[in-house]
Amino acid sequence: MKAFPFALVAASLVAAPALAQPQIGQPAPNFRALDVNGRAVSLSDFRGKTVVLEWNNPECPFVRKHYNSGNMQKTQAAARKDGVVWLSINSSAEGKQGHMDAAKAKAVIAAQKAQPTAYLLDPTGAVGKGYDAKTTPHMYIINPRGTLVYMGGIDDKPTPNPADINGARNHVLAALSELKAGKPVSVPTSRPYGCNVKYKDS
Amino acid sequence: MTRLLLWSALILSVLLPAPAASAQATEPRHIATQLIAETDTPTAGSIVSLAIHMTPEPGWHGYWKNPGDSGIEPSVQWTLPRGAAAGPLEYPVPGRLIVGGLMNYVYEGPYALLLKLKVPDGLAPGTPLPIRGKFDYLVCTKEVCVPESADLALDLSVGAPGTPPTRRAAFDRFYQALPKPLSSEARFQWEGGRFRLFVPLPDSMAVEEPYFFPLTDGAIDYAAQQKVTRNGDALIIETQAGAQQPSSVEGVLRLRDGYGLSLTARPGVVSAGGPDAPGQGAFAILAALAGAILGGLLLNVMPCVFPILSLKALSLAKAGGDEAGARKEALAYTAGAVAVCLALGAAVLALRAGGTAAGWAFQLQDPRVILLLLLLVTAIALNLAGLFELPSIGLGGGLASAGGWSGAFWTGALAAFVATPCTGPFMAAALGAALLLPLPAALAVFAGLGLGLALPFLILGFVPAARRRLPKPGPWMNRLRHILSVPMFLTALGLAWVLGRQSGVDGMTIGLAAALLLGLTLWWVGRRQGEGRFWLRLAPAAAAVAACLMFLPLGNEGQATASSPLAGEAFSEARLAALRGEGRPVFAYFTADWCITCKVNEKGVLQREEVSRAFSEHKVAVLVGDWTGGDAAIGRFLESQGRSGVPLYIYYAPGKAPEVLPQLLTVSRVVSLTQEDS
Repeated sequence: MKAFPFALVAASLVAAPALAQPQIGQPAPNFRALDVNGRAVSLSDFRGKTVVLEWNNPECPFVRKHYNSGNMQKTQAAARKDGVVWLSINSSAEGKQGHMDAAKAKAVIAAQKAQPTAYLLDPTGAVGKGYDAKTTPHMYIINPRGTLVYMGGIDDKPTPNPADINGARNHVLAALSELKAGKPVSVPTSRPYGCNVKYKDS
Repeated sequence: MTRLLLWSALILSVLLPAPAASAQATEPRHIATQLIAETDTPTAGSIVSLAIHMTPEPGWHGYWKNPGDSGIEPSVQWTLPRGAAAGPLEYPVPGRLIVGGLMNYVYEGPYALLLKLKVPDGLAPGTPLPIRGKFDYLVCTKEVCVPESADLALDLSVGAPGTPPTRRAAFDRFYQALPKPLSSEARFQWEGGRFRLFVPLPDSMAVEEPYFFPLTDGAIDYAAQQKVTRNGDALIIETQAGAQQPSSVEGVLRLRDGYGLSLTARPGVVSAGGPDAPGQGAFAILAALAGAILGGLLLNVMPCVFPILSLKALSLAKAGGDEAGARKEALAYTAGAVAVCLALGAAVLALRAGGTAAGWAFQLQDPRVILLLLLLVTAIALNLAGLFELPSIGLGGGLASAGGWSGAFWTGALAAFVATPCTGPFMAAALGAALLLPLPAALAVFAGLGLGLALPFLILGFVPAARRRLPKPGPWMNRLRHILSVPMFLTALGLAWVLGRQSGVDGMTIGLAAALLLGLTLWWVGRRQGEGRFWLRLAPAAAAVAACLMFLPLGNEGQATASSPLAGEAFSEARLAALRGEGRPVFAYFTADWCITCKVNEKGVLQREEVSRAFSEHKVAVLVGDWTGGDAAIGRFLESQGRSGVPLYIYYAPGKAPEVLPQLLTVSRVVSLTQEDS
């Protein structure tokens, strides 16, 4: 039981994208990681669909702002209703804040009533570094052709205060509705805000 | 079982409401915050300094205005008495903390955020001034982050005028920790994934681990290494560019721990600081090179160069139709001009690298070089005038008169050497750029100068058609020679003047005596033209010249240091008041080691003899305020003058309102000050 995650961790390391900053308009780097059910998930599995990546650390106050208020779940539901794939990714390293094994993660997802397509565990930080993910939350949107079309914050009110969600521009919802209408994403980048991703000390 | 308990605890903690201000107030905080004022009794209508004093718990840190890769900027919402207004928060120079490869700009020890509060006008002393603020900030360890909120409260009351601030010493310390505004303009280049920042900083300013903290997001990759190069008066920071090209870049340049300069950089061309970045800023190098070639071309019509060149043209004309000979001469001449320009350029660069503030034409700062030039030019002029002939050799003077290859080479060398004083005004920009370029590029620019100078001859040598346009040799050549001796004599006159400026009347007299001696010797040589080995007869003259060089007073350096107006007293408002009370005129200036404008003014104007003479004649007292360390008393004085930094120059004529001078001084402006009141 203990050996198998290690093997897959090693596999995900091998499959890790090269360290290059992702760029808007360029192909999004492929990756492979385990989800909470022990299933290997690759970005390339979702060719032809719009994919949202959400960096997650359930203990980060900025993540809690969006989950405890229900804002992130609402965004996930709206996205998935339109057939969008939502991948939550946890890059907290072992021993760091927000690090969970699969069972713990499942329990947290259930308690939060979160609705990602898959919740991926990235304890080596390979996926996170490949996307240059800096904060939790940090959001990315990849169009059906595999091109990166948005990266940045969840919205434009960089505070930990849930009261600021009302009146903020939800960059992800806005981008998804523009994509659905066949329009280019009007705000393709924004400054992400939140806690730093708890990568392992290098 | 314990695992299960831990899970439930985690899930509970995740499900707890996000911390809101009300919930926070009861929890212990990781940063103790305290709002304090420089004085609790500010006068009506005044501006009082407030500080939010922050004391993080050990292991915790607060964030700078730009938090870096993660974190958030602190914010405060003020509730103030009617008519009061709070300025923006001012941040001390932050530190760096890299966690898991992500950059954080933080404060790990106690620090103070400062702001100015405008007290409403027209309030009676004793009126209460309740200051309230809701202060939100993020505090983190390397592991966790906690958003905290503090209710700031401070009760001031309007005081009677004249009460001194009670917490001046503490606030002086706070203000000292703020970055000082850089007085000169910084530039940045954001290109090809690289970001280069140029900051003018005197090379005498010592720095330890400089680092650029950007306020503009997206300009640079925060976690990337910053490579720092110093090259003369330039500090260049190169690092990986960020995601978005900015139109201007604001930030703080840390010079050492807790000490830095705030700056705004405009887009521009910044060459790589070191020689290990080939291919960078190729356009800048090409532009400088083109400027240098054009400048060199222009030099051909300068009075100090023209005669030499005309000589060369004449000799080319004499060479007639000999194709190969003309080409050889043109090439040799070019080689001479380029070699001398390269040698001078290399010497400038070497001197700069060694820390001397050498500029172009630096060799003319040495009176011995001036004397040699004076004698050389005199000899050429006398030769042109026909006092003596060098028949076996042809036209020209000295080594430059040797025929063929070597003659052409030395003519080019001489032209380049003599031309340098003329280059200054035309070439200052291109050569200034050259000093900041990587070594090979800088040398290329100097070589370009030589090439430009030689260009007309290259054309004459290689284009027979151009050569055919030259008039046929004839008796007119002698007439032209005699006429051309006039600008050469004028050049000699100019050099004698320079010599006089440098080493006084004695030096100039020695120089003129040497020139006379040389003239007599040459005359004697000319009388015996045609006899063999006549160069030997020049030996006594050479000996005389050597003697002159030894006796020549080496500049008036001693004099300059003795009378340097910089030997003023340290500035204090009390001393200023005392001197003005005595009825003395006072010149007060404020400077800092990192301020390049200040250094330029000091070297170029304040240290000049005319200024010191004028000041001592009129008994002008000089007060110097050195703000290098951010002295708070000087900072307050600057502020009272409406300035945020240095330089500042003020002249206090007795019984008149103080006169603030422009930031760029001129000698005549400063000297004229002392004459206004006498």
